[in-house]
Amino acid sequence: MGSRVSRRAFFAIVQARLLEEYGTIVYACAAAAVVGFIQPHGLAGPIFFCSLLGIAIALIQRAGRHAYLDLSEQSAPLFGRELARAKAVVPCVVATLATVAYCVAAEVAGSRNLPLTLLVAFAAVIPSTLTALSATVRTGPSMLLYVAIAAGVSAAAFALVVDGGSPAGELGFSALASFLALRQYGEALARYDPV
Amino acid sequence: MRAASFDAHGAHAGPITLDVFASERVAATFANGREAHVAALLAAGIAKAMAGSVLIGPYDPRVQAAHCKRIAAFVAHDPLPFTDESEFDRYVEYRAALWDVDPVRAAAHARLVLERLAGVHEAFAYPLAAALAAEPQLLVLDRPLPAYAPQILAAAGPRAVFSTHVDELGARAFASAAIEWVRA
Repeated sequence: MGSRVSRRAFFAIVQARLLEEYGTIVYACAAAAVVGFIQPHGLAGPIFFCSLLGIAIALIQRAGRHAYLDLSEQSAPLFGRELARAKAVVPCVVATLATVAYCVAAEVAGSRNLPLTLLVAFAAVIPSTLTALSATVRTGPSMLLYVAIAAGVSAAAFALVVDGGSPAGELGFSALASFLALRQYGEALARYDPV
Repeated sequence: MRAASFDAHGAHAGPITLDVFASERVAATFANGREAHVAALLAAGIAKAMAGSVLIGPYDPRVQAAHCKRIAAFVAHDPLPFTDESEFDRYVEYRAALWDVDPVRAAAHARLVLERLAGVHEAFAYPLAAALAAEPQLLVLDRPLPAYAPQILAAAGPRAVFSTHVDELGARAFASAAIEWVRA
């Protein structure tokens, strides 16, 4: 018996939370598909709308919504940083599914850029979702600050790919922002007192 | 706990000084539910004391929280949101994965505990049975219902039990010698 998050614990956390978020997944995908169908062209739609969904989904991971899961995770012999990785997967999976739903609906409605749209949308959605997760363990102005940073990450990704014309630059920025956001969330979770 | 206190997020508890030795049952009374809740979280190593010290076994929750949580099991005041048996089985399996213990053994242990909790409503029996499935050395109960004290203590077996309460009556039901919480 180790004190690190085993693969089994990781999948148990992800599975339990995804089962509880079943309704959220359906609504997020449906909303994304509708918007994708209405706004099939351009990158502003998938990047900003799907990032917004990702931020909202991250924010509802806040303690209290599934209190018995929160308490089980907090009372389990897991390290905050490793618990953070498992918990971060959940909103990322939901946001990813919503992004796919958006892009597929946009493709059906006439967009012909599915691979590129998916790539640049993921590169904006994932880091903004991960950044918003840090807001869930904070309150007041610092919570709002993290939400603003998450929105800023999405805007920066959009600027890099549309104004800068550099999908590679956006991917690099995305990787760096995701790494920093996940690390920050893990540190915050390790110090978090669920009171 | 030695003069352990917590003061953040509008919650305050302590300073608390008390010892819980192996096989001992200690019931502490607090001024209100929030304070009792924080004290239980401190005792289980889930919340960290801001002043004073807490040791769970040989470990300090501020630096060895994961080790503390192998020793102490926390049972919340609020009941589980389900009373369905199949959900309970899934919940035990989930907890066994978090504690990295054998799921078959955990399920068998949880069933055994449930038998000892005959008469206790499922919503209160399930979290206790699931908490004991990982076979902790210390059971921390946050404001348990006094009406279920005999069954809960029987289910806990010989392990140490620390419970928090907001009234003397509840505390007396859970300990042979209930104590007032001690200011350092």
